[in-house]
Amino acid sequence: MKKIAFIALSLLLAVSFWNCEKDDICAEGTPVTPRVIIEFFDATNQTTPKNVTNLGVIASGFTEGFAFNGTNKIEVPLRTNVDITELDFVLNGADNDPANDETVTLTFNYERSNVFISRACGYKTIFNLTNVLPTDFTGTWVSSLTIEQPNIINENETHIKIYF
Amino acid sequence: MKHILKFTFSLVVLFSIAGNAQDSIQKFPERYGLRVGVDLHRLSKSFYDDNYRGLEIVGDYRLTKKFYIAGELGNEEKTVDDDHLNFTTNGSYFKVGFDYNAFENWLDMENMIYAGMRVGFSSFDHQVNSFKIYENNGNYYGQTIIAPGEKFSGQTASWVEIVGGIKAELFNNLYMGFSVRLNYLISNKEPEGFANLYIPGFNRTYDGKFGAGFNYTLSYFIPIYKKKK
Repeated sequence: MKKIAFIALSLLLAVSFWNCEKDDICAEGTPVTPRVIIEFFDATNQTTPKNVTNLGVIASGFTEGFAFNGTNKIEVPLRTNVDITELDFVLNGADNDPANDETVTLTFNYERSNVFISRACGYKTIFNLTNVLPTDFTGTWVSSLTIEQPNIINENETHIKIYF
Repeated sequence: MKHILKFTFSLVVLFSIAGNAQDSIQKFPERYGLRVGVDLHRLSKSFYDDNYRGLEIVGDYRLTKKFYIAGELGNEEKTVDDDHLNFTTNGSYFKVGFDYNAFENWLDMENMIYAGMRVGFSSFDHQVNSFKIYENNGNYYGQTIIAPGEKFSGQTASWVEIVGGIKAELFNNLYMGFSVRLNYLISNKEPEGFANLYIPGFNRTYDGKFGAGFNYTLSYFIPIYKKKK
């Protein structure tokens, strides 16, 4: 019996150390706060994907933004502390020539809710888009915009389609 | 670990001496009774750790020569400050089970090296004090911190513990003890929108069902009756 007690004690100690393994680092690939997935299509032939060239996306008043080139699918973050995000979509904005820039400011209005993920990752915010403004794109590089999926809960689906 | 080795060693020595001298030694009566005490670790931690307040009362009753009915009763309030969230868990628990004394006491010694089991129950609340929103690729707009968060009341959990420990008589009826516990969750009522990251009595939870704990006890033995060895 004392052998059993000894083995049990050693086992307990071993397991308690083994349990101390760090699990407080948010694992890569964990679905966290989703970004808006925007797909670009040809304005005349609306089923044909169209790549953007040097598209710069930047929040008003920011000096750093996101650059996308040669892709028809981009992802941009929404603000998680307010229910509105304004982003400038600047065609040719990511190149060095400011003269060819064409800017469209999109305003995303949405509702937020915060969802617990885990000890390591904390919380994420998911969004429900109420609208994206403007609705009239006359005189801009964008032809039209549609909301495909107003519930932004992951990055696996396209939320918005932009035709240009 | 050193203590355990020391104890095992002395146990072996004791056995050999006792084995040789068995016929000639005087028989001492075995004392039966109730032992009650307090967990010194939880008590002292309440003083030095601002994020912790807890108390655990321990007790055992000697049923047979080797078996003791044992249990713990406690209350804990613990604030966990992780990178992405800060929450306070508050609740009470009790554990019941048995200890089996594997120590062959020599003469009138009444020490224990024991293994045992417990079933534990806990009832508790979580208050989320603050949390951060996790965003991929850094936080373009800056880190969003939200405070306070929700309160999650009426959580319950139950588990089994495998216990190993020692108890040694310091002097007249006063015992010092140490035990380690391996816990395994049986039931865990998780709140909607949060998780039981800490369970009073069980301690911190991990991804699986296992947990671990320990206590340092100081207890007093109240003798009730005696039996011949």
